[in-house]
Amino acid sequence: MKHADWSRDLKLRSVVLVIAVLCCSSIAYAHHSFALFDRSRLITLSGTVREWKWANPHTWLSVVVRKADGTDEEWALVGSSPNMMARWGWNAADIKTGDKVMVDIHPARDGKAIGELHTVFLPGGKVLADPGGQSGEALAGGPSDLPTKPQGIPYQ
Amino acid sequence: MKRAPDSVPWNNSTRILCGGVWSLIAIVLAAQSGDARAAPAPQSKEELAKAWRDIATLPDLWQGTWQSVSPIADDFPTPPDYTPSAFEYVKRYKPVEDSPFANCKPLGLPFVMNIGGMPMKFFQSPGMIALYIESSGMTRFIHTDGRLHSERPNPTYLGESIGHWEGDTLVVDTTGFAPDTLFQMGKLDKKTLAQGDPSPLSGVIFGPHGPNLRLVERMRLADFKTLEVQTTIYDDTVFKRPYSLPSRRYIRGIERRNEPQEWACTDNRDYLDPTTGTLEYNVKDKAQSR
Repeated sequence: MKHADWSRDLKLRSVVLVIAVLCCSSIAYAHHSFALFDRSRLITLSGTVREWKWANPHTWLSVVVRKADGTDEEWALVGSSPNMMARWGWNAADIKTGDKVMVDIHPARDGKAIGELHTVFLPGGKVLADPGGQSGEALAGGPSDLPTKPQGIPYQ
Repeated sequence: MKRAPDSVPWNNSTRILCGGVWSLIAIVLAAQSGDARAAPAPQSKEELAKAWRDIATLPDLWQGTWQSVSPIADDFPTPPDYTPSAFEYVKRYKPVEDSPFANCKPLGLPFVMNIGGMPMKFFQSPGMIALYIESSGMTRFIHTDGRLHSERPNPTYLGESIGHWEGDTLVVDTTGFAPDTLFQMGKLDKKTLAQGDPSPLSGVIFGPHGPNLRLVERMRLADFKTLEVQTTIYDDTVFKRPYSLPSRRYIRGIERRNEPQEWACTDNRDYLDPTTGTLEYNVKDKAQSR
């Protein structure tokens, strides 16, 4: 696939995904913020895990991203509760400090280097979707149709 | 009971009178303790076996866990008839921009039944039904032994719950709430809200409840997979008449993933200050004074 096609495909997928998220996500937030993050946007970070905190009420993933200008930027990403994630196939040991990961996130509205986890793509190919915002049926039934590659706009 | 000296003559009328007085005292004490039975006593093996047999035939709330499939906030389809003070509160109310529960503080009833991201599970034993609510790691204890409410229940986040069965419906009556349990008293008209606001808390009116808040929940199985819980709120500081909410729905999960898990809330770093929208780290004081 040519770059232009790939880019168009990515944008289309992003739009479809965002619509899907907005349509289906009215139900099952647990202890989540609703104001800080822009759920209409999805961006993809590539970086190195600095910390992975598996704790209630929320998990936290800290990722160091090397930007195009060569500087490093640390992102703090909030995920769902470990309980919800465990039901969606996550394990505390899936992510380790030093792992190279790609992460789709909903970024903060104010441009800070924080975000809400959407999907994590691990080095070995494992894909973990955050169940935050999914319907009660989806939480009880488990994940389906996991993406195979990042869906967000790449963050530079 | 201490025996009277043998020298005191006991005739039948004295015995009846004395017995009546003691019975009266027992009834008064029982009423004061809020317990329909004078004193709980160990049951014999046969009595206990019968008690378990009796509850074995009750509607099956017990298999698996129940996952909420209703929106997190309650809908108030008919406008509540507010008291003047509640009406003033609602008139001046600014909708919350963010979740008031992004930290470890317990929500309490009634909103703890709404939060939903994780399932809940019923257990029963003779005289009591327990309901573990994973999203707060709390367990409701619903007494089904026929007791009355305590006269002065100490305030708690889950209150004092007493249940009984009306046919296939478990009716749970709860009083004795802490003043700071999270209470939704209404919902703003959609017309007043920003268009396209995706927050499920858009327009939700959280506010103070009165000291005599009482909830009556009617829990019944619509079918094997579906539990419906309809709640009526009694609070004469907020509503002139009791307000009956639409039923909330929960679906049954019996897979391993649906089993209940521990909820230990230990990380308060993600307290989000709704007034500034800033992410706060380790703000113990704010978490406690929500």
